[in-house]
Amino acid sequence: MPYSEIFKDHLAHPRNAGELADADVVVEETNPVCGDRLRLSLRIREDWIEAARFLAYGCPPTLACGSAIAGMIEGMRIDEAMTLTKTQVAEGVGGLSSRKQHAASLAIETLNSALTKYASSHR
Amino acid sequence: MRRVYLDHSATTPVDARVIEAMLPYLTDKFGNASSVHMFGQEARAAVDKARRQVAALIGSRANEIVFTSGGTEANSLAIRGICEAAEAHGKHVITSAIEHPSVRGVIDQLEKRGWDVTRLPVYEDGIVRVEDLREAIRDDTILISVMMANNEIGTVQPVKEIGEIVRGERDREHRHLWFHIDAVQAAGRLPIDVQSLNCDLLTLSAHKIYAPKGIGALFIRRGVRIIPQQIGGHQERERRAGTESVANVVAFGAAAELAQGEMDSRNAHTQRLRDRFEAEVKTRIGDLVLNGNPEHRLPHLSNISFRFIEGEGLLIHLDMQGVAVSTGSACSSGTLEPSPVVLALGRNDELARGSIQFSFGKDNTDEDIDYAVLALTKAVGSLRAISPLKFGVRSAESGVST
Repeated sequence: MPYSEIFKDHLAHPRNAGELADADVVVEETNPVCGDRLRLSLRIREDWIEAARFLAYGCPPTLACGSAIAGMIEGMRIDEAMTLTKTQVAEGVGGLSSRKQHAASLAIETLNSALTKYASSHR
Repeated sequence: MRRVYLDHSATTPVDARVIEAMLPYLTDKFGNASSVHMFGQEARAAVDKARRQVAALIGSRANEIVFTSGGTEANSLAIRGICEAAEAHGKHVITSAIEHPSVRGVIDQLEKRGWDVTRLPVYEDGIVRVEDLREAIRDDTILISVMMANNEIGTVQPVKEIGEIVRGERDREHRHLWFHIDAVQAAGRLPIDVQSLNCDLLTLSAHKIYAPKGIGALFIRRGVRIIPQQIGGHQERERRAGTESVANVVAFGAAAELAQGEMDSRNAHTQRLRDRFEAEVKTRIGDLVLNGNPEHRLPHLSNISFRFIEGEGLLIHLDMQGVAVSTGSACSSGTLEPSPVVLALGRNDELARGSIQFSFGKDNTDEDIDYAVLALTKAVGSLRAISPLKFGVRSAESGVST
């Protein structure tokens, strides 16, 4: 399956790339099999994700999904972000073949890990 | 958008002179080379001429050339053909750790069927050592298969020295030992003489030397018996059944003759472009490693690992700017497959994943190099800007805690 135009656009012009200097939570998850990495930094105000940034290393789908998820969750309520699925992330990059779904999974795992970490430190 | 093709190890465009030579065999001269009538004889004469042209490229006799559908089939025919013919004399094969998948795959399959395989290491410079080969040879070794030059890093293997060892073995009554060379990447770029190489089998592919895809050849030294892998016809002296692809054969012959005649000028041109490219890339982009021995490698090829980033992303970034290159790494189903060739050099996963191969051709220009260097600088910069590996280094350098 060739990469879609929206996928290529995420690669050429990543959304929300970088790291927040004043992040409330930063996590980095690694796919233990292939070594792909995704790092998310979030600034949270009350129940909202006010800002989100990503850094990614690995195959193009991992980079594109990092860009897509960071763009999706910025301005989103935390409880809404927790219901995001890997299918929605894959759709956000114009669809992924079954062989590339692992990139969307890594994005969701990283987001969940960040929100869990934030929740446990703000009980 | 400008398009710059720097992937000549994958395939080359068909030379206009080659198209001109083959065209009549797609139109008026369409005969089957096995037919007795004049249409057939016209085709037969063209196939015979092409056979002589290909033979001349490697210093063989014309009747030692068997046309195949390409390099993969020729490698398969050589390795399976010898191993099946000589099984009674031994079941040990020696090869290198960096063979093309079409050699590696066949030998892996033989191993699963009970053959013993020794894979010679290549060390950091990407070259096998003849001392390792000498130690690996056993009384039951029947085949040594080592490529002449690697397709990914371009390193040239000591095939002449290996041939001398094989000859020495035969002199001491190790008669059932054959030597196969995959010369697909080397042909047209390095002079090849099967007599001085002492090889029994040698693989060629047409589409690497500006001819069409779908045609290759195997040199089989006179007197070497192989078991045919494709049967059901008398073509190619009973060694490869199937109607000859006459137009493709003619194209291969024409391309071989051009490659031989223009070898020096093509090499001088591509090496100058390659060296200029490498010098500029090293000046503009830091944190990179050149792969393969810089002296003993093909003149048209450069393999570079870029730290902190992954090859496929770089390939797509370059593609989006119109620059075509290759990477030996692949990631599928979340399974990492870094380039086995770059890993064999002792590089770590990060460098093996970040390796990109640039291969230059006779029609590339200085303007192509200027454009490719700019595109590469931009692509590497974009990917490093979002790399957590690079971020970690930046943070550590600036003393910021992450």
